[in-house]
Amino acid sequence: MSCTATIASSLSFTSTTCRRVIRPLPAIRMSAEDSDRPSLGRPLLPPPFRLLTFRSLPIAAAVALATSPLPALAEQIEKAALFDFNLTLPAIAIEFLLLMVALDKIYFTPLGKFMDERDAAIRGKLTDVKDVSAEVKQLEEQAAAVMKAARAEISAALNQMKKETTEELEKKLAEGRKRVEAELAEALQNLERQKDETIKALDSQIAALSDEIVKKVLPSV
Amino acid sequence: MNVIPCSIKTLKGLYDISGVEVGQHLYWQIGGLQIHAQVLITSWVVIAILLGSVIIAVRNPQTIPTNGQNFFEYILEFIRDLSKTQIGEEYGPWVPFIGTMFLFIFVSNWSGALLPWKIIQLPHGELAAPTNDINTTVALALLTSVAYFYAGLSKKGLGYFGKYIQPTPILLPINILEDFTKPLSLSFRLFGNILADELVVVVLVSLVPSVVPIPVMFLGLFTSGIQALIFATLAAAYIGESMEGHH
Repeated sequence: MSCTATIASSLSFTSTTCRRVIRPLPAIRMSAEDSDRPSLGRPLLPPPFRLLTFRSLPIAAAVALATSPLPALAEQIEKAALFDFNLTLPAIAIEFLLLMVALDKIYFTPLGKFMDERDAAIRGKLTDVKDVSAEVKQLEEQAAAVMKAARAEISAALNQMKKETTEELEKKLAEGRKRVEAELAEALQNLERQKDETIKALDSQIAALSDEIVKKVLPSV
Repeated sequence: MNVIPCSIKTLKGLYDISGVEVGQHLYWQIGGLQIHAQVLITSWVVIAILLGSVIIAVRNPQTIPTNGQNFFEYILEFIRDLSKTQIGEEYGPWVPFIGTMFLFIFVSNWSGALLPWKIIQLPHGELAAPTNDINTTVALALLTSVAYFYAGLSKKGLGYFGKYIQPTPILLPINILEDFTKPLSLSFRLFGNILADELVVVVLVSLVPSVVPIPVMFLGLFTSGIQALIFATLAAAYIGESMEGHH
């Protein structure tokens, strides 16, 4: 915020365009004209200031402004106080500590406790449910085992019964077969006997028949 | 043409139009010392907002939370998570400090950006975020310094000062310097961000009074929120660092 710098720059800009008289400030009195023309009625500057020419005026003005006290400007543009340390620092520190205590009592501790309790309750319920479900699983497993055992028993008994009945059947079949074979053998034997008998009978009849035939064929004999 | 008076007039004219009152404070006298009244007033407003909203929202905590309670539970969980990440397992006692730090800075910054402070005309200076004053930020930074010293000393006793020669004694001057740069950087980071954002917005509004400053305002909201988070995170990190055990 350098006010004098802006004034000096604006002065240097205007010096080439501004050719009229500079009205004197309360602290500084200058004349734009040459000091050897006093008839214009302007107050003469003391001898040292006669060295002021028009061109050196802006620089001189800036220097004079910078060094002189600036009552007119001081009221309007105050020096910026950015790094102004004062009682505000401890005041804010104390306010912050009081705020911390208050928030702790009202917000952090009660709500924190409430949230923790709620978390613990939920976790407890979850573990309960897990326990119960573990029990249920156990019971289910037991039931399945029992069912399996029962089924195994049943199938074993079934197989046993099947075996027994097939054995019986086979036995009966074998008996039947034996009987049938025996009867068949008997029948075959009978047939053989009968065959032999008939052959024997036929033999005797054949002899008789052949005699008859010869008698009939050869009647004259 | 009257160069000097007319320069003064234009400057005064510009000053009246722009109204940029940087570094202008409203001074109150307490005892023999001065105080920046505008910072005090705005900090009271921030504290009132914080305490008021907390009291209203957390009155009867329900197992299934209402909207307000849910929001404040979220904030508390966020702060707890932040503290736990930085400090470790013993984060419990530090949650109020870190939480208050975060909430105070966050609400201050956003109140400075969002609340219409210009409605209230002060005789000198203007109302703005309390964190745009160097006193506020340095106070918070010094409190953080005190906090991490207290944390280290209460945990390790005088053995805390052994950390200055860790890992090698050659780093002793750097470690001592760190104790000064930590609060310095904390305070100046926050101060610079908030003051600069306010200045940018004010200058833009005075130059281009239309929709143009609005994105800058949003940027300001974003960065000021981030600054609150950074301050709280760093405070927690310093506390955690002083409390951590041997490597």
